[in-house]
Amino acid sequence: MAKLKYSFLFLLYVLIKCESTNVDTISSDIRLKNVDRTVDISSQLVKIALKVTLENTGRSPVKNFLVAVEKSAKENLAFVGTKDYNNKDLRLVETSVKGYDYVKLYRVELKEPVNGGGTGIFTVDYVYTKALIPYPNAISQQEDQLVKYTGNIYVYSPYYIASQKSTVVLNTKTIEAFTKLKPFTQQDSNIVYGPYTNVGPFSEKELNVHFKNNSPFLTVTHVERLIEVSHWGNIAVEEVIEIEHTGAKLKGPFSRYDYQQDHHSGPASVRSYKTLLPASASDVYYRDANGNISTSNMKVKKDSVELDLRPRYPLFGGWRTHYTLGYNVPSYEYLYHSGNEYLLKMRVVDHIFDDMQVDELVTKIILPEGSINIKTNLPYPASMLPISQHYTYLDTKGRPVISFTKRNLVENHIQDFQLRYTFPRLLMLQEPLLVVGFLYALFLCVIIYVRLDFSIHKPEHQHKD
Amino acid sequence: MVRYTSPINPAVFPHLTLLLLGIGIFFTAWFFVYEVTSTKLSRDLFKELVLSLVAALFSGFGILFLLLWVGIYV
Amino acid sequence: MPSTSIARPENGQNKGLFNNTAGLSTLITVTVLSLAWLAGFASRLFAVIRFESIIHEFDPWFNYRSTAYMVQHGFYNFLNWFDERAWYPLGRIVGGTVYPGLMITSGTIHWILHTLNIPIHIRDICVFLAPVFSGLTAIATYLLTSELWSRGAGLFAACFIAIVPGYSSRSVAGSYDNEGIAIFALQFTYYLWLKSVKSGSIFWSICTALSYFYMVSAWGGYVFIINLIPLHVFVLLVMGRFSQRLFVSYSVFYIVGLLMSMQIPFVGFQPIRTSEHMAASGVFALLMAIGVLKYLHSLNPKGQWKQLLILGGMVAAAAVFMVVVLLTYMGVIAPWSGRFYSLWDTAYAKIHIPIIASVSEHQPTTWSSFFFDLHVLVCTFPVGLWYCIKNVNDERVFVALYALSAVYFAGVMVRLMLTLTPVVCVLAGIAFSILLDLVLREDDLPMPPVDNDESKNLYDKAGKLKKRTHEPAQPLDSGLGMNVRSGTMIAFMILLMLFSVHCTWATSNAYSSPSIVLASYGNDGSRKILDDFREAYGWLSQNTAEDARIMSWWDYGYQIAGMGNRTTLVDNNTWNNSHIALVGKAMASNESAAYDIMTMLDVDYVLVIFGGAIGYSGDDINKFIWMVRIAEGEHPKDIHEADYFTERGEYRVDSEASKTMLNCLMYKLSYYRYDSGGSPPGYDRTRGALPGNRGFKLTYLEEAYTTEHWLVRIYRVKKPDEFNRPRLSLAKRTVPTSNTLSKKTSKRRKGLLKNRPTIVKGKKVGRLE
Repeated sequence: MAKLKYSFLFLLYVLIKCESTNVDTISSDIRLKNVDRTVDISSQLVKIALKVTLENTGRSPVKNFLVAVEKSAKENLAFVGTKDYNNKDLRLVETSVKGYDYVKLYRVELKEPVNGGGTGIFTVDYVYTKALIPYPNAISQQEDQLVKYTGNIYVYSPYYIASQKSTVVLNTKTIEAFTKLKPFTQQDSNIVYGPYTNVGPFSEKELNVHFKNNSPFLTVTHVERLIEVSHWGNIAVEEVIEIEHTGAKLKGPFSRYDYQQDHHSGPASVRSYKTLLPASASDVYYRDANGNISTSNMKVKKDSVELDLRPRYPLFGGWRTHYTLGYNVPSYEYLYHSGNEYLLKMRVVDHIFDDMQVDELVTKIILPEGSINIKTNLPYPASMLPISQHYTYLDTKGRPVISFTKRNLVENHIQDFQLRYTFPRLLMLQEPLLVVGFLYALFLCVIIYVRLDFSIHKPEHQHKD
Repeated sequence: MVRYTSPINPAVFPHLTLLLLGIGIFFTAWFFVYEVTSTKLSRDLFKELVLSLVAALFSGFGILFLLLWVGIYV
Repeated sequence: MPSTSIARPENGQNKGLFNNTAGLSTLITVTVLSLAWLAGFASRLFAVIRFESIIHEFDPWFNYRSTAYMVQHGFYNFLNWFDERAWYPLGRIVGGTVYPGLMITSGTIHWILHTLNIPIHIRDICVFLAPVFSGLTAIATYLLTSELWSRGAGLFAACFIAIVPGYSSRSVAGSYDNEGIAIFALQFTYYLWLKSVKSGSIFWSICTALSYFYMVSAWGGYVFIINLIPLHVFVLLVMGRFSQRLFVSYSVFYIVGLLMSMQIPFVGFQPIRTSEHMAASGVFALLMAIGVLKYLHSLNPKGQWKQLLILGGMVAAAAVFMVVVLLTYMGVIAPWSGRFYSLWDTAYAKIHIPIIASVSEHQPTTWSSFFFDLHVLVCTFPVGLWYCIKNVNDERVFVALYALSAVYFAGVMVRLMLTLTPVVCVLAGIAFSILLDLVLREDDLPMPPVDNDESKNLYDKAGKLKKRTHEPAQPLDSGLGMNVRSGTMIAFMILLMLFSVHCTWATSNAYSSPSIVLASYGNDGSRKILDDFREAYGWLSQNTAEDARIMSWWDYGYQIAGMGNRTTLVDNNTWNNSHIALVGKAMASNESAAYDIMTMLDVDYVLVIFGGAIGYSGDDINKFIWMVRIAEGEHPKDIHEADYFTERGEYRVDSEASKTMLNCLMYKLSYYRYDSGGSPPGYDRTRGALPGNRGFKLTYLEEAYTTEHWLVRIYRVKKPDEFNRPRLSLAKRTVPTSNTLSKKTSKRRKGLLKNRPTIVKGKKVGRLE
């Protein structure tokens, strides 16, 4: 019986599994007429932007097409997104194709199908983290940081590409070595490969660039973002951030003398970085376990608050720092309601520094005590953690905490989540009444106390001290 | 869905705090002076209860707004 | 004037009047005390306002760290805590070597608040504990003084203690130290003791013992109580003031207090095994003997009992003394500790225990610091003392003894100023209260003067105490003219005003610096924060291996452990002199000799404080001579203090300095590649000199980190295979040596050298000299 039961369950599982993972086929109708690719490796991230001119050679309209990621780069992919020519986001679904299990594929669902014989122009953005490897992996204080990029000279696509061109943006003229596959040109700080014509699907040829890159190689190893909603008109945000310099490690001594001598010293080190906060942010604090970090500046701009954060010490390769950054924003910026129904719209992750890469994010949202019917809507998949309780001032049964976590995030992930919940407004009176009740209990104690008499024998005359 | 604002404007928190706490402390002081000065015979339970209730109400709300004023958004 | 209305008797015959007066005086008392609490709390917040909510200085960091540990791991784990992060490689049994009262107090507060869902971080509780307790101290002082004299005097005393710099110096926000709560416990114990002596009730004696227990758990200064109370009893006996009340209160207090004080792990059997506590047991035995004699006397009231009593008492005293001496001689009782000796002979520490003498707060007090810490009180408290002695009773004997002993101790050590301050406030409060009574008497004719009626009932019975003050007394001298009165009033008001101004000023300017964050003021008045200490400790905590061992002078041990969370060799708990001397020796030796010590001690990093770039005078070079002295005490063969001075006996760092000085590790680590500090480059601002040895290289260490203003310098100790690798052989090439080995072969020699660094040592030293 049990066996039967289990096999049935297994069957069910397999069915569900099949249902949930999409299986597509590569349509032979589609070919890419022209692809312009920009590989931006001037920061610590690898940002690849494709401009694809898609041609439907078939008759039937094409409702979707596939974009592919190389097997070697699969692990480093942080973000992929597509837009149509109106600059509107298109929906992406992860999928797979029989026989190409090693390739990571996404299906792009078009808003307007490309008719037979017609063409469509789309842009595809990829962001890879940790794809630039410092080489050598340890440098001394005064040396420049050299990194190596390994990629694909051709555009990786499941379709036949008629013509393609790739521009590698380096932002430096100091190039140690790069793969030379004709036709290519090197102009200023760019290398242009191509145009290559008639390249078949899934073609790969290794591209190596070894060049100087002194841009900050900072990885946020862990960030915990805590959003506390108060219906008294405030939303408190606190981020606990751990940062590591993941560029070439510092080899040998750190000399303050050399570091002070000129400002170009320690080119690969990071002295400070800028964090952008919402324009309405106030009461900003920046501290760590040992207290306030006094080296920071705040500039209030029109559309944001710019924080110039300087860690306690400059960050060299392999050095780490951690801190807490917190601020308040008024509730009317992010909280909406109609009656007792509330909607919170806030960013899943906020800007920490330009071209940031976040290894792990945990976002926690603390709702007021007594919130029910909580529904979360995330802009991209993340793993939800179980709802927990948080106890703070004047709480009795605890506030619900909604938390979720995601790995490998970049700036493109700065998007809003939506959280709906119900909160009876009358519950706001619970907190002051709690204080009132507590005080009243104290007074009652006094009233009772003065009526008690602990003396063993009756004094001759009354006096209370 | 409309933007949500606090039922009480945060700008008046300090004033509310001072006002409510002032009244609360006054009644608290009155209550304690009454407790100390009245004797077993002259004590009136009803007066005590009313005084303490008023004191607790004002002080309670005063403390709440004090918390809100200093930035502890409960 | 508060004192006039409060000094009024509380229980008059007239019921209506009584009601109003009692209500008003209670209200005024409560108001004044809460205002004193508030003022005391507020005046201690300068550090938080100027800087931030942060733990100050050195010892508080240890207290904070252990409190945090206790909060995290629970009380029993804290008692059993073996801290392997301190005193490497020895470790420290923290639970058995601390007074846990402070940690338990803040831990309890933390627990209560968190039970009530008030999520206040333990650091903030620690920061604000001392200011909060200063309010409690004010209340305890009020109680003590009103027990001694009158409620008016009590209010004065409470106001004084709330803001007096002598106490706020140890209890500003962030100064999370034992003294913060101990002064409260001290005052409260004394109050309860007086209460029990007055009433002779077991209840108050037990309360005294409980409060004493709290004091024992909080501060080593409890020895002061356990010697002062027996002294009080002894003096009362000598004065012939033996009574059943005294007998009951002392015997109950002593037994219960003794048993309870022995429950503190750190105290353990000390109360019966050390000389410091013997006075208490001696007095106890004496009291028993006298009690027996009195009892015999009561059996047979006739006969020559008086002589017998005196004789018997003296014999008993002699016998007790002999027994204590004998037990000490036999080794059952430990003799006085060195710290105790230094209380009697101020030169003792300098000769025998340099580690105690090296601490600035163990120096004898100067007159100016008496005035600075107590201001007008130092002039007025003798008045109060005189009145107490003039109108003497059992309690006032106590306060007189308290004042006299505290004055002595405060004169011996700056640090013990703290024990003087409360009694000065009490007596000054009495003095001011008397003065106001005197000046305002005619305006308030129905009010009986408080000061002279008490002298009449010195021998009042227990239980009838309240009656005493309402006997109307005739005003003695009312010969003061109106102008004299108002003139005196104005003068004293101005004096008190100056006092409060001085208190605020002293607290804000002298005592509110966290000392781990420095502030410097530019020419335009702008303030610049120098955060080098936290920069360095933050660096240590993030960028060194979890188990890295940091060698530094002991002053910074607690901070490294607290902020850097790394293992230290020595710290401010200076229990092992030889270990400290070893570190001192490493700092005082030349690089290669120091390297031997450092490898022996598994040192990974060395941390030195160097103030030359910003003119910070409390740096390691200025403390260095103490390191040398302490090292010399343990290693007289290797370290000689005279080597570090010039031939004329000067302590210098410039080119005139002695060779040993210029080549010792501390010197090199301080000045390694130092070229900042204005013109000429490399100028040492603290000592106003150009360093004598510059441009040298380090063989066995490398600079790991130096903070922005050069204040903290951290060096990494190289592993044996590191310091002769090819990269460094560049230095070797510049010095033509007899070594004819080619580069290749020298590379191969690296392996051979591993276990014999002595070869390198000889070479390097030869090159430098």
